[in-house]
Amino acid sequence: MKDDFINTVKSLIPKVDYCSFRFVNKYTNVISATRGVVEPVTISEDDGLMVTVFNKGGYGYGATSNLTKKGISEAVNSAVEWAKFSEKKLTYFPDLKKMKSRVGNYYTNEDEHWSQVSTKDKTDYLISVNKALKSQPTISNWGASIRFNKIETLFMDTNDSNVRQKISYLLPQIVVSAEYKKEIQTRTFGGHAHARQLGYNFIDQIDMINKGKTLAQEAVELSKSPNCENKITQAVIAPDQMILQIHESIGHPLELDRILGDERNYAGSSFVTPDMFGNYQYGSELLNITFNPTLESELATYNFDDDGTNAEKKYLIKDGVLIRPIGGLFSSQRLGLDHVACSRSCNWNRPPIDRMGNINLEPGKDSFDEIIKSVEDGIYLETNNSWSIDDKRNKFQFGCEKGTLIKNGKFAGMVKNPSYRGITESFWKNLSKVGNGETNNILGTSNCGKGEPNQTIFVGHSTPICLFENVDVFGGV
Amino acid sequence: MRDYFKKISELLFNNLESNEILILNIDAEKTDFIRFNHAKIRQAGNVNQVTLTLTMIFKRKTLTSIIRLSTDFKKDSLLLRRTLSYLRREIPELPSDPYLIFEKNINSFENDHTNNSLNNYEITDNILEGFKSLDMVGILSSGSIIKGFSNSLGQFNWHESESFNFDWSTYAKTGKAIKQNYSDQTWNQKTFDSLLLETKQKLKVIDNKEQIINPGDYKVYLSPSALNEIIDMMSWGGFSYKANKIGTSPLHLMAKGEKKLNKMVTFSENLSNGISPKFHSDGFIKPDLTELIIDGEYKKSLISPRSALEYSVNHNAAEYYESPVSIDLKEGTIKSDQILSALNDGIYISNLWYLNFSDRNNGRITGLTRFGCFQVNNGEYQGPINTMRFDETVYNIFGDKLLGLTDKKQLLMDSSTYEERSTHSSTIPGAIVEDFKMTL
Repeated sequence: MKDDFINTVKSLIPKVDYCSFRFVNKYTNVISATRGVVEPVTISEDDGLMVTVFNKGGYGYGATSNLTKKGISEAVNSAVEWAKFSEKKLTYFPDLKKMKSRVGNYYTNEDEHWSQVSTKDKTDYLISVNKALKSQPTISNWGASIRFNKIETLFMDTNDSNVRQKISYLLPQIVVSAEYKKEIQTRTFGGHAHARQLGYNFIDQIDMINKGKTLAQEAVELSKSPNCENKITQAVIAPDQMILQIHESIGHPLELDRILGDERNYAGSSFVTPDMFGNYQYGSELLNITFNPTLESELATYNFDDDGTNAEKKYLIKDGVLIRPIGGLFSSQRLGLDHVACSRSCNWNRPPIDRMGNINLEPGKDSFDEIIKSVEDGIYLETNNSWSIDDKRNKFQFGCEKGTLIKNGKFAGMVKNPSYRGITESFWKNLSKVGNGETNNILGTSNCGKGEPNQTIFVGHSTPICLFENVDVFGGV
Repeated sequence: MRDYFKKISELLFNNLESNEILILNIDAEKTDFIRFNHAKIRQAGNVNQVTLTLTMIFKRKTLTSIIRLSTDFKKDSLLLRRTLSYLRREIPELPSDPYLIFEKNINSFENDHTNNSLNNYEITDNILEGFKSLDMVGILSSGSIIKGFSNSLGQFNWHESESFNFDWSTYAKTGKAIKQNYSDQTWNQKTFDSLLLETKQKLKVIDNKEQIINPGDYKVYLSPSALNEIIDMMSWGGFSYKANKIGTSPLHLMAKGEKKLNKMVTFSENLSNGISPKFHSDGFIKPDLTELIIDGEYKKSLISPRSALEYSVNHNAAEYYESPVSIDLKEGTIKSDQILSALNDGIYISNLWYLNFSDRNNGRITGLTRFGCFQVNNGEYQGPINTMRFDETVYNIFGDKLLGLTDKKQLLMDSSTYEERSTHSSTIPGAIVEDFKMTL
């Protein structure tokens, strides 16, 4: 952002109790190849600004893609007018004295920048991945893609805050389906889980070609496998399914705006009530959950949230006991609770709300082999393909792409269409083993939807494998 | 905005080099978003966004750039020239696109449904006054939506409308809620007052003691909103030609002729209500009506121009995601004012929530009951039910287990605002289904 532009903006600051300007520049490039053909390449460059005003008990925002002096002035006027209109009509008005001046920055550490690799090299690579995927005649669908996102923000306010952040992330994706007697089974990589704040060297680390070969083989094998049986059993859950389990049944129910009722018309509320913090046994003593915006390369690592709050690691659940919600500086004031830096917005055209950042399950002591050996009769569940949970985040059902039976501590063959259902309040209490750091994966999803107006945002989840007792597992039709 | 779009189109087309073709799509909105909780304002503001999508075609190659505009011609001119240069520089790097297709015939038309009658401060005051003694939560999205198309071959299309969408829930002290929606192009206070009255009447019913039901098979009434959630899931590939070919469609067994639905079931994509634009992002003109399922049999898929080339069939100007934007389900014979007596004993389901597939191959869907769900005995409301998870196949819901559809359909405007306000809608009756499986 050039200085003369910033000076123009400063000249437009209205005479109000508090005003902030949040500029966002978002660059997106998606390259994909499907069934051996490079899809049309799309590059998106999105610039805009949100002006937020708190004044005399009123609040309003104005957001615009018109970054001329006239456009910004109109956005300021919108914010001021809505703040004036909403005086004495608000659900709550924050204590502005608690807002501090923040100055700082954050940049994703990229060893190899996206722009250093040509589009041709990227498309050639994805075509090679496609060739590896179409390894057998029964492969009915296949494809691979790489999404690159770069989000630059500048936050300034009337407290002289000045925060610059640049987050870049990559989302590699592979999909492969195999058909056998009209039964189609699909294996994927990346879609729900593998977004990271890393440079292009991340793609080399993944080795999408060999990953693709393995997934293709698994899809073929799954298409010929029996359906998962219906039974109550032990379930070892892999990180690429744990991510959804944590996201839906810990992350969302702990969001303070849900607990306060803001989301009751759309994303839902929570079974968690304010009196539970500090005493509610959320899970077994092995359950430790952190809000951790400091883990390098995880998707929602940053130094400040979108209201300019300093980001730091804090426990949400410690030894199974619920400690604090995921509530930002503003919403935490509504209950007099401690806050975390989770006030986030998907873009310049949506206001910040309480959001997950990185919500991580801290590793335990057991190795992968020790956990599998401990299972007498159970199932190993990998890669989420279906998710559903009630509006209070209690009754859930998840589907996975791949199930592997475990008998007497050893793997005993694949089953297709494995799903499981349960109730959050009892499920986490059945957590009996947590994998060690070697089983831990840093994962992230780029499409968490919430809010009115609607917002899709990226969140991180770092998790090891976990063993649960008494899980209600079932298969397809 | 229309004149501005024409002006920048002209600028860009005049700067094209030989053998270059340029396709432009503009998406713009000026929207006031007023979010409510506890019948007060939670967040309020205005969003003014203009998005231009530029697709360059050169020697069977294609590249797309999406940018935001300021609508200041001097500022935008620089950005547009720079973007054009970028596309020109990058496009040679790409391989030829075997499925490249765009409209070469010129079919220009314009639709303008704006009347500038929405006063969003006044509407917000009406809402706050109406709900002042109630626990209301929701959102009002109100303003103009613009979709425009032009290409360097000379086609120009325009679709502009002004509308509001008030989507809300009202909570009883028990924690149970009623969900409603009011959307239109002009605010009618009488219509709003009647919806408010309906809210208050339903709240009295839902404030009764919760009826605990257990997993099992139930006779259910699915309101148009609830049924729309199931149809949304079916539409996740179900009507897509490509998804049926590659096997990711939940209706692929129907498309292959191996399964049928009940003869009462007739689905079509019906754009005649004018809510969604009739032009495709590559300039093709969409038919008013595409019959999808007729009398329970799969008739036709939505086929995008790219799928048409990939599979050597004719397309029907479907967008590349190949799912309906304005689906219509034919009405049945159950009297809409006698639903309770038709259901007699069962569960009245007003809304379903968070649906997903349990077994996509076999069209099996799970999800949960949410707002306004009641137990009904002897044709009378008994009270609200506990939240229940269902798990059922579309072949049961719309097949042998379908007892009937209501004789009136409801127009449901999509209140979705991801990235931009949606122009999708559905026109759907309610349904009574037996042996509907509740699992948790």
